[in-house]
Amino acid sequence: MQRKIGLALLAVSTVLAFSSCTKDPLKNMSEEESRIYITNHDSTANFNSYKTYSIVDSVALINNGQFAGREATSWDQQVISAIQTAMNARGFVKVSRTQNPDLGINVSRVYSTSTNFVDLIDYWSYYGGYYDPNYWGYGGYGYYFPPAYGVYQSTEAALSVDILDLKNASSSQTIKGVWNGLIRGEGIFVSSNVQSQIQALFDQSPYLKTNP
Amino acid sequence: MKNSKLIFSFIVSLFSVLALKAQKGENNFNISYNAAFPMGSFKNIVSSNSLRGFNASILHGVSDKLSVGLATGFQDFYQKYPRQLYKLSDGSDLSAVVTYSIQTIPIMAEAKYNFTPGATVQPYAAIGAGANFISYDRLFGEFGDKLGKVGFAARPEAGLYIPFRQGGAGFIIGASYNIQPFKQDDLKNLNNLGVHAGFSIPLRK
Repeated sequence: MQRKIGLALLAVSTVLAFSSCTKDPLKNMSEEESRIYITNHDSTANFNSYKTYSIVDSVALINNGQFAGREATSWDQQVISAIQTAMNARGFVKVSRTQNPDLGINVSRVYSTSTNFVDLIDYWSYYGGYYDPNYWGYGGYGYYFPPAYGVYQSTEAALSVDILDLKNASSSQTIKGVWNGLIRGEGIFVSSNVQSQIQALFDQSPYLKTNP
Repeated sequence: MKNSKLIFSFIVSLFSVLALKAQKGENNFNISYNAAFPMGSFKNIVSSNSLRGFNASILHGVSDKLSVGLATGFQDFYQKYPRQLYKLSDGSDLSAVVTYSIQTIPIMAEAKYNFTPGATVQPYAAIGAGANFISYDRLFGEFGDKLGKVGFAARPEAGLYIPFRQGGAGFIIGASYNIQPFKQDDLKNLNNLGVHAGFSIPLRK
């Protein structure tokens, strides 16, 4: 009988060893693969009608929908510079914001912070398995911990680039957004990724161009 | 000529009855490693074969040839597409690496028919039907929501049981067609062909 149970356990463990390794998508993903690029535009906008643009000199920080200040770190400046390069390549001409630009460009770092709870009950339930009471000289004793939860916070960040129609703002009495680019995922704030990230947004927006 | 006679004799001996010992009243635990190959429309979305799976069943012999019981299994399907541009319903353009991660756990009633009980090599056919517990995740980049669903599963199967010794444990090898309807996003089903190899172990004499 014992031999049969042993054989059954061997068979089960052999099969589980083969099959327990579910392929985890997140563990099989590079930082580049984790990122998504989303662009949206006003389908009625004629980008050829815009010739000039101006861009902010600092980046707005938005935390859970609340304005949290402006910064111009070296990363922020790299982003602004990369956007300028891409806009210039599409035929737009940069002017100062006092020169009545046709388009205005805002850049924001958007943070979303959420509070999460870790249930520690399971962790403490098996405590004796991690730390044998014998180690402390109290073999046979059990552990007791008061029920509690561990709290942690996680923050997700995104980069948002908004292009605004300033040319028609007076006539429409509205500053209308005509294009938005959003980047989410891992490694957004790594300097070496800035150029390729901004380029990705423009590459998927071939309509965003003008004849100089 | 001599060789062909030998081969013929070997085949006959394989399927010949070695003993009259019946399976009636016996309980058997069957477990096998399973490789799955997506079929039909499922293959259009998840083309990668799954080498991560197993089948298991506990069957009671109601006669020498027929046994019935419960069957289950596990299979993990995974497919990653290189970065592509997708048009969303709101007109947005989304550039992302899309990954599908799907796990299936069918729990079924199963009936198994052994054509030659007692032979050295025993061909069998089986059919199972029941519920399929599905975990589904379609990720755009690292973003996606895991979804759990319960569907229908059916599994016709055929294979060979080769006992190590009379009345003892044995080796099983076979193939099954897993019918698993599942409507989600672009998927209509998770149908796949399974090839398995494992062991059959009597639980009591």
